[in-house]
Amino acid sequence: MPELLLDPNIRFWVFLPIVIITFLVGIVRHYVSLILSSQKKIELIQVQDSQVMIRARLLRENGKYLPRQSFAMRRHWFNNEETGYFKVQKRAAASQNPMTDPGMMTDMLKGNLTNVLPMIVIGGWINWMFSGFLTTKVPFPLTLRFKPMLQRGVELAYLDASWVSSASWYFLNVFGLRTIYALVLGENNAADQSKIMQEQMSGAAMAMPPDPKAAFKAEWEALEITEHKWALANVEADLLQSNTE
Amino acid sequence: MSFNYEEISHNEAKDLLRQWRENNERRGKEVLELWDVVLREDVNKLGNEKHVILEQVIYAALDCHMYCIAMLCLVMLSNEFPGSLRVMKLKAAVLEAEEKFDEALELLDNIIKVDETNSAARKRRIAILKAQGYIVEAIKELVDYLKKFMSDVEAWQELCNLYLQVQDYSRAVFCAEELLLHQPHSHLHHQRLADIRYTMGGIENLELAKLYYCQSVKLNPDNMRSLLGLYLTTTNLLNHYKSSGNSGKRKEVWKLCHWAQSKATKQTQPTSQLSQMMLSLAITE
Amino acid sequence: MSAVTKFKENKPEPVAYSEAALRNNAVVVEYCRTSMAALSGSTAGVLGLTGLNGFAFYVFAVVMLWIMFLVKVGPHWSKYFITRQSVLTNGFFGALFTYVLFWTFIYGMVHVY
Repeated sequence: MPELLLDPNIRFWVFLPIVIITFLVGIVRHYVSLILSSQKKIELIQVQDSQVMIRARLLRENGKYLPRQSFAMRRHWFNNEETGYFKVQKRAAASQNPMTDPGMMTDMLKGNLTNVLPMIVIGGWINWMFSGFLTTKVPFPLTLRFKPMLQRGVELAYLDASWVSSASWYFLNVFGLRTIYALVLGENNAADQSKIMQEQMSGAAMAMPPDPKAAFKAEWEALEITEHKWALANVEADLLQSNTE
Repeated sequence: MSFNYEEISHNEAKDLLRQWRENNERRGKEVLELWDVVLREDVNKLGNEKHVILEQVIYAALDCHMYCIAMLCLVMLSNEFPGSLRVMKLKAAVLEAEEKFDEALELLDNIIKVDETNSAARKRRIAILKAQGYIVEAIKELVDYLKKFMSDVEAWQELCNLYLQVQDYSRAVFCAEELLLHQPHSHLHHQRLADIRYTMGGIENLELAKLYYCQSVKLNPDNMRSLLGLYLTTTNLLNHYKSSGNSGKRKEVWKLCHWAQSKATKQTQPTSQLSQMMLSLAITE
Repeated sequence: MSAVTKFKENKPEPVAYSEAALRNNAVVVEYCRTSMAALSGSTAGVLGLTGLNGFAFYVFAVVMLWIMFLVKVGPHWSKYFITRQSVLTNGFFGALFTYVLFWTFIYGMVHVY
């Protein structure tokens, strides 16, 4: 496989600039999203609900350290048919439909704007500006199917699929620099798109407020089936035993 | 710590302040000294940390009763951020320190009206009521607060203390149990719960107290208080059982008592008076 | 690395992990892994490794890093991590992309031009 000779000018004027552009755009994106992020106004009810969920969960997990009666008392307070917290609290079923909920709409818009849009815009610009020549060779062999994708603008049937154009070099940069952003910007940086995509896929794990009814029901069931295993039943015996050893 | 104020540079002072901020150390007097000598000269040189440092200095000044310095910094901050809730909270703190409690309460009420989820403002309200000595009202407000913010561990702890102050032991036990739910592996919580139950008296409570003391000792064998508590509880239980003739239970309790006593004597220095006194109550058989 | 405050009770009892320490350790491991990916990618580029060799080198580097962690942590690894295997495989693919990036970059700089 012959080594092609590329113009050294490509190295300075294309190869490096794409890296620098990607990196800097990522950082700018991070700061822009920080500026644009609106102050979320949280309702008192939402705070109350999330705290109740925490308390119920703790009761389930650590209830075994309380005497049976205390545990029963608390469970009764949560679950009782007439007066229990999970039964009595009525919440309007907040719609999760993004079209009707203005808060979520703007959040989605902002998210899209700051993340996807720059990628598309810059990808397109690079494609337009740096097209018609090869940029680099990836060090591993690729199948022919990748050729049209990676070699935009260069139509040579004979050419090895490993030689790629600038657009694909740009995308490689985008993916590769994600972990570097974690180094440079610290955790929770907005330049890292993978986390955002993961969040969208796992569904709103944090956004409990839109659907407290389901959460309450789930918690109610979980509490009903927890058994109270008194953890301190054998503590004396354990203590004496571990000490006479 | 004494500093050589001639030589400390601006940046070193800033670093020290940041270190104390991150470690949550108040160090009122030292902060004020640094402020006076080094930083006040040129406030604008403080750069990014200016406002945070001003906040730190305000709290330090309040700790040392230097109200004029506090007001000065407060004015600087409120010029930059008019109408900010955080600045209002600082203002309320200043009023509280000067014992102008009514104005402080009013200000805090305003903050709460604007931002209902602001837990710090609510807690300061309760602290003011407590400072004025209105324990019962403080308890009422705290209970209200806890109905909304149920997972606030500090608040549960404070409520427990307040109940103990008014000697409402059963409710104090409830609060202590909440603390236990949040931090089940802390030997101090177990020990506190056991203390309260022991104080309440009665056989069931003593039994429970014994179990919690045991757990506390298991979690931390060096906890002298639990050892002595265990010892006292078991001694008490022995007295009870002596009268009703439960020889089986009595034997267990006696074993435990004996063990606690031996452990405690092993660990105490001969000079500790309290332990000596408690151990001299030993039941010999 | 900060030690996990672990409390071990008699056999069947659960172990309490300190969340903050676990998270901190995970962050440190991530940091080391990224740096390792960058450095090994550059090395692979300089050496001119291609194809399967390159990926084998990456796996080699990951394992070396894992061994270095274990050596540093010593016999009491359970004080710092829940499982040793999690140190090996967490963030494998994230760092892989970084590795490929640096590999391609240096390969391009050195061999193509």
